[in-house]
Amino acid sequence: MTRQEIMDTTITIVYECVPELEGKPLEESTVINTDTGIDSMGFTLIICRLEATFDVKIPDRQWKKLYTLGDVVSAIEKRLK
Amino acid sequence: MRFSSFAQMLRHFAALSPDAPAFKTEAHGVLTEVSYAAFCAAVETRAAELQRDAGTCLGVLCDGSLACVTEIFAAVQAGRQVVLLNEDATPDLLQAADADCLWGDGDLTEALSPALTGGVKDGRGKLLFFTSGTTAKTKAVVLTEQSLCASAFNGGALLPLQKDDVLLCMLPLDHVFGFVCGLLWGLSCGACVALGRGARHYFDDCAFFRPTALSAVPLLLGFLLQKDLLGDTLRLVLIGAGDCPPQIPAALKAKGVRVSFGYGLTETSSGVALSLGDDPYAMTVCPDDRITLAEDGEILIEAPTCMMQGYYKDAAATKAVLYDGVLHTGDLGSFDEQGLLHIRGRKKEILVLRDGTKIFLPDYEKALLPALQGRDFAVTEQDGVPVLILCGSEDEREALTAALEPLMRDLPLGRRLRAIRFVRSPLPRTATGKIKRWAIQ
Repeated sequence: MTRQEIMDTTITIVYECVPELEGKPLEESTVINTDTGIDSMGFTLIICRLEATFDVKIPDRQWKKLYTLGDVVSAIEKRLK
Repeated sequence: MRFSSFAQMLRHFAALSPDAPAFKTEAHGVLTEVSYAAFCAAVETRAAELQRDAGTCLGVLCDGSLACVTEIFAAVQAGRQVVLLNEDATPDLLQAADADCLWGDGDLTEALSPALTGGVKDGRGKLLFFTSGTTAKTKAVVLTEQSLCASAFNGGALLPLQKDDVLLCMLPLDHVFGFVCGLLWGLSCGACVALGRGARHYFDDCAFFRPTALSAVPLLLGFLLQKDLLGDTLRLVLIGAGDCPPQIPAALKAKGVRVSFGYGLTETSSGVALSLGDDPYAMTVCPDDRITLAEDGEILIEAPTCMMQGYYKDAAATKAVLYDGVLHTGDLGSFDEQGLLHIRGRKKEILVLRDGTKIFLPDYEKALLPALQGRDFAVTEQDGVPVLILCGSEDEREALTAALEPLMRDLPLGRRLRAIRFVRSPLPRTATGKIKRWAIQ
């Protein structure tokens, strides 16, 4: 799976989990909480959906280090390899 | 019933109703119950093992599992000082608490082991909880099993749980609200405690365990309500550890759930006042506690059975907030005509987020200084999240966001700035230059 495919799926899941973001452009540099307003609970939901979709597990301690959507994609990409 | 130790509490219910479930947990995807008799025996066995070891102060990396709860109770029973930690524990914290042994996740335990110390001589019965407290630095608060049991008794006296109640524990055990209101409250009433399975199961824990009672922070509750995840068995919710918007209790009441707010601090072993009537913001002072107000409205607490012994090895910090048996909380309150306590805000510059996290604003702003050198700014709270207020113009947003990025990356999501808001006028300040936070709109 390419990085772009992971990014596309990630964006789809973010829109599904946070419908109010629909129409707002999301990209690798999008900062999770300031640009999207996603709080820690919303982020937990997104990560759980992503883990289930990609069949990977991102350790809880690393969730907290994720800053941009690009970071999220990198964390998934690393575990898919 | 009032207990003076964890062992006394467990032995009482193991004798009274040995087969009654003390815990519900998940084991390999299956709902499993552990009786009071079985849990009490497991704790006694583990305590005997620990007594044969040389350790004196156990750091527990709390993961909320039954094994974790067993280890905490057993270590206390074995006479060890116990330090409650989370996955963010650092070598500094271990050393500050004099931990000489560790329990928890293998990798983390291994990484932290070099920081272990020579231990303590007089730690029996002490449990240390780290808190940002009422002043700036993270400090270890010394509580005891007696003070924690007394706090659980206070809660149970005002909000009793029945033996057939299931209290869902979704809060971290290294936080005193989680330890007392998520765990001890249930056990001290002889009820069953369902041990939540962590963040990955926030979405299905209620459906899995079918709780009748839940202790939670406002952020989690708001989320569970929004996603309709609370289930149909819940009858009582205890909310604490953060400011709560009125929509949350209103939505719970509409579902037929009784709502109670708790007010307390780590320093008082958790709650000292709980709301019992229709108004969730009007709180009754707990049986063992006395609350008065200073002239400026500061809440002063006398809690002889629940008060901390002090901040660990920090007599000066203890003396600054606790003297003549009275804790000066830094919180502001008032009493209504019925004598019920209402929380009005904070005297000190502390921001309490909806997930219970505390931010000491002067320290937070100091950390921002290198990125915002020479700027007129303040951090404040809006809708339960930290927001940067800065005198400047919208054109600067991108550059400022980039300047703040390295610092924000190092912070957990909940503590990061959620937004930057620009104002045209200089920020309001006192004659001594301190920001008038209350005047920032």
